[in-house]
This record gives sequence, C-alpha cells and structure tokens, in this order.
Amino acid sequence: MIEEFATLVDPNDVDDAVLEIEDFSVDYGWGDSAVHAVNNVTLSVRRSRVLGIAGESGSGKSTLVYAVTRLLRAPGVITGGTARLSFDDSSSSTGQMTTLELTTASERELRKIRWSRVSIVLQSALNALNPVLRIGHEFDEVLKTHRPDMNKSERRQRAAELLALVGLNEERLARFPHELSGGQRQRVMIAVALSLDPQLVILDEPTTALDVVTQREIINELAQLRAQFGFAMIFITHDLTLLVELADDIAVMYAGNVVEWAPARDLYDTPRHPYTLGLLSSSPPLSGERRELVGIAGSPPDMSKPLLGCSFHARCPYALDRCSQEAPPLRVIDKTGRKVACWLHDADNVVPGPLRRTVRISAPTQAVNDAVSGSNQAVVL
Amino acid sequence: MRMLLRRLSLYAVTAWVAITVNFMLPHLMPGNPVQTMIGKLTGRVTPQQVHAIELSFGGLKGNLVEQYFGYLHQLLLGNLGVSITLASPVSTILRSAVPWTVGLIGISTILSFVLGTFCGTMLGWMRGSRLDSVIPISTFFQAVPYFFLGTVLLLVFGLNLHWFPVLGAYSPSVTPGLSWTYIFSLIRYGELPVITIVLSSVAGWMLGMRNMMITMIAEDFVLMAVAKGLPRRKVIMHAARNAVLPSVANLSLAIGLVVSGALLVELVFNYPGVGNLLLQAVLNEDYPLIQGIFLIITMTVLVANLLADVLYFILDPRTRTQAAV
Repeated sequence: MIEEFATLVDPNDVDDAVLEIEDFSVDYGWGDSAVHAVNNVTLSVRRSRVLGIAGESGSGKSTLVYAVTRLLRAPGVITGGTARLSFDDSSSSTGQMTTLELTTASERELRKIRWSRVSIVLQSALNALNPVLRIGHEFDEVLKTHRPDMNKSERRQRAAELLALVGLNEERLARFPHELSGGQRQRVMIAVALSLDPQLVILDEPTTALDVVTQREIINELAQLRAQFGFAMIFITHDLTLLVELADDIAVMYAGNVVEWAPARDLYDTPRHPYTLGLLSSSPPLSGERRELVGIAGSPPDMSKPLLGCSFHARCPYALDRCSQEAPPLRVIDKTGRKVACWLHDADNVVPGPLRRTVRISAPTQAVNDAVSGSNQAVVL
Repeated sequence: MRMLLRRLSLYAVTAWVAITVNFMLPHLMPGNPVQTMIGKLTGRVTPQQVHAIELSFGGLKGNLVEQYFGYLHQLLLGNLGVSITLASPVSTILRSAVPWTVGLIGISTILSFVLGTFCGTMLGWMRGSRLDSVIPISTFFQAVPYFFLGTVLLLVFGLNLHWFPVLGAYSPSVTPGLSWTYIFSLIRYGELPVITIVLSSVAGWMLGMRNMMITMIAEDFVLMAVAKGLPRRKVIMHAARNAVLPSVANLSLAIGLVVSGALLVELVFNYPGVGNLLLQAVLNEDYPLIQGIFLIITMTVLVANLLADVLYFILDPRTRTQAAV
C-alpha cells in the first residue's frame, strides 16, 4: 500500500518552499560522547504557511531550528544535511527567487538574510530584550543595520507602525523591558520580528511563558498578522492543542526524529504514529467532552548511545519485533501526503484501531475499545 | 529622580557621620591632645601657636557639644586649623597636595578601568583562544604588592635603564606654569607611577569583565542580536553593556582602596601628594593636618562613590524605578 502512494505527488514537496531542510543532523559534542540531538530530519516550510513543530522537551525541535538558522552555539555541531532558504532577491533586477544554502553560507551572507528574511521570537521576551536598552532601540538597531537609507524620524515612524500592529501604543518605545508586562514584551518581540517584512518567522515556544488568556490573544494576533503580511512561520511548542489552531502542517518530533508530518487537522483528529496519539491523549482536548488524560509511560531514550530500531519502541504499546531492530523511515502513507515513520503502517501489518480511524474520537476509552475489539471499520490507508 | 535624592540624602548623612568621627578621634585619645602637643613643643611655644592648636580643635572653649558646633562652624568657613609642624593653614597645605594625588590616582584608576574593561570584553568574547594567556600574566602583577612593583620598576627602568625620569612630579629644572615643557615634564614623571598602579590593578577589572561577558554571551538577548544580523561590534556591545554593570559597582569600592594604596606609591616615587603628606603628619603627630587629610580622604571616597552611583544609575535603568506597570 505504501508503494502505491509513494508515487503520488507529495503536497509537502511543492516548489514554493521558503525553507527546505533535508536529511539534517545535529550533535552536541564530538566523538563518542556526542549526543545525537537531531537525526536525518527532512522538513519544509511553504510560502505563507505555518509549520508547527511539536514534541516534548529534548526532542530536538529547538535544536533543529537554531542549527538550521546557524544560531546554534557550541558544542552544537551540524553533522549532515542541507537547509535551503528561498527568497525574492530585491537587489537582483530579474526579481527571481534566490536560494541560499544555510549550512555553508558565510558569516556575511548570513548577516544579510538574518532578520530581513528570517526572524526569530524566543520563549522568554524578558531575556530576549536587552534589559538596559529602551524598546525603541530594538527597532532602531534592526532598521539602522538593514535599511541604512532610512533616517532617524523614518525609523521612529516605522517602529511606531510596528507597535501599532501588535496593539501597543508608540509611547512604549521610550520604555525599558522591565516596565512592560510579559504579554506586552512578547508583542514587542513579534513587532520587532516583523520590522523588515521577513519571509519566515521562527517562533520558539513564544507563548509558553504566558498565561492562557494572553496565549490566546497572541495566537489570534499572529494568525491575523500572517493573513495580512503573508509571512511563513515555524511555530515550536509542546502544546499540540495550541498548534492545531494556528498551523497548516504539523511535524511531531521524538528523540531527534520527525515521527509524523501531516496537515494539522488530520494529525490532530486522526494521528497515525503511536507517539502522536500518546501526545494527544496527554493533553486536554480542544473542544467536546472532558476526558481522562493519559501520559506516555517511560521516558525518552538516552541520545548519547546509538539507537537500534525505532526511537519510540521501548514506550510504544503497539511495538512489533521489527521495531527494536530497524529504524522506520519517514514515508508517505496516504493520499493527504501525510508522512509517518512507523512500521505499523507497513503493508503486511494490521494497523491498530486508534491509529487508523478517520474521524476524531474524543474519548480515548473508545479508542482503547476499538483496539481491543480490533474492529475494522474506519480504515483508510 | 526620587531615588537619586534618596541616595543624596544618604550621602549627606554619611558625610556628617564621617565629620563627627573625625572630630571625636583626638578627643577619644587619652589625655588632652592640645596639652600633648604643647608638651612636644616645649621651649618654642608662642601664644599664637597655642591659639592655633586650640583653634584646630574647634577652639577648645566650652564643653564638648559647644566645641563640636564650633568645629562644624569652622569647617563651613573652610577653616581646617593650622598645621603644627608646617605652620600654615591645613587647607592651604591640602590645596597644594590634593591635586597631585587626585590627578595621579584618578588618571591611573580610570586608565586601569578602561583598559581592563576593554581587554576583559575581548577576552570574554574570544574565550578559550590563545589570548587567554594574558590572564596569568596580569594576575601575577596583581599579586605583587603595589609598592614592591613600584620599587622594582623604579630601580630597573628608572635608575638602571633611564627610560623614565624618577623622583618627584616634574623636572626640577622646569618652572611650574601653563607651558608645554611643564606639561610634558609632568607626563614623563607621571608615567612610571601610573604604570605601576595600572599594572597592579588591571587584572581585577579584566577578569571581572571577562567572566561577566561569558555569562552575558549565553543570554538570549545576545542570541537575538546575532539573529538580527547586527555587525559583530554591535553584538559585543549588547553583551558588554550589561557585563560592565558589576564593574561600575566595584569602581566605587576600588577608588577608596586605591587612595589608601597610593600612599605607598607616592612614597616610592617621592610624589608630592596626600600620601606623602599623611606620612609626615603621622610621624610628627600633627593632629590638625592628620584630621584634615582624613577628612579629605573620606570626602573623596564619598564623592567618588556618588559619581559611580550616578554612573550606575545612568547605565542600568532597572535601578531608576520600580516596575511602572
């Protein structure tokens, strides 16, 4: 069955990708003591689309984006793979797309694309804003560096516009970070990130440090801003429920691997990888009935040791013999272009009930019943 | 602004305490300091001198409280009494000695701070590089006592190699005044003492700054500065601007220490500053002069502290107000 769909056009693989990550690996440290934080990850972000990356702490989601943008600090090392950034080169007369290979780009090339093409919003805006500089300075230095032709009043004007975009008064420009609330600081960061109209904004758990109400407001604002300006986003979080509202596609990472990569709604409603299922069962549902939350038994593997087989097999309730021997590749398994790294979806196997349903089942007890009865309805492969 | 006023009033109280202690010290010693002094001067005491001694302790008229207010009154008038051994007003003597010390120590401290902070910034940024070998060398100079280092430099580079002129603040053949030869002579004679002080204090600034830089480089806002595509110089400034804050706080402490430490440097290089004067005053039990010098040292430390405070205040907005939101 897999072979059949593998020949179909993969909607994730379209030409208008802003960022294409291929076979990307990152280690912390060298030699035998190296921790393999990211292993052969392939992902892409389409123009004006939102790619969500979900996973628990230590799954390598942040490491991946920092390595791709070449912001990873020692002892992080890129050990393989490519990351191509595509953008309109306004300086070239042809107006055609330019591609920059980030892994081999020089410091000078990187400085040019940084913030103007790819900007970043970090988890803690208090730490991301320099505590001794005024908010206005954050905008000013970006504009001064990348738009040298703008004069002082133009820069101020632009900064005020940007603050207005996130619902803040321009009076805040004269403030220091410690004079703003957590939500205001994160809004400032988002406004700074949009200063130069980037093609891609990377958000590394931007709402994790905020309360739920502010989280919601920020997510809504991000969705509006995206609709208005058309930038693509990579949104990193451990909160799948939050992600499904904003993201077009979601990639779930586990122990440095992408285990499932699918359109957001499909992944949320009908997970195909046991880890995705576990992750969803452990967080409260977006709507509908309340259900019991179930954690995933066990803990992630020690990534300094070479892994034999699937990284999740030790915790997987459906593990096969093969899972402890051979690592499953990330493959397209159905018509939606969904990719899953799991042997269960191999042609010879009967897929367990919870991993083959087509409509969302809110109560996990029902999913368990399905698994027990082994009923065959709702199987689309 | 309110914070600054609060600091200022704190300094006013400190100054008042210092003045009071300064007044009390001779009174706390056994016996009457005036009698002791007159005793020392037996055979050569003129009524004028007795009056001068009395005046220097606030007039010695009335009880302790009245004397105290007399002392404060004289202080306000700028009268610090008359030196017993030098037979001229203490304020006049100080006026000729203080600029030498403030010039020498001020320039050395600022130079040491600026140099140390700059080197520390670069060392912190390029941590682990071969530049780190500067650290043990500079720490060695910090470990050697001031005056010993000064003596060695004086003997080797001054007396043996004749690279630097020694002894005094300027060449005896030059007349003081606003002439280039005088200024040039001042600089030449100041070089060795300044080098001594800078060499023996720069390591502290450097190490402090380097370590703070290493801490700051790990901060998110430095990562953001890189992500913004800022030139390296600006990225370093983001880190340095925050890393320098503890150094500025230390600066106020250091100035007090340097003033007392410079005493020995002045002796070694026979520099006509407060340190030399204090030694003479102590040897001669010249109470009015000792009191005057203590007062000046205390006030200098207070003013230096205030300046460092104001600088910190300007550099770190978080000290200015409580969170406004």
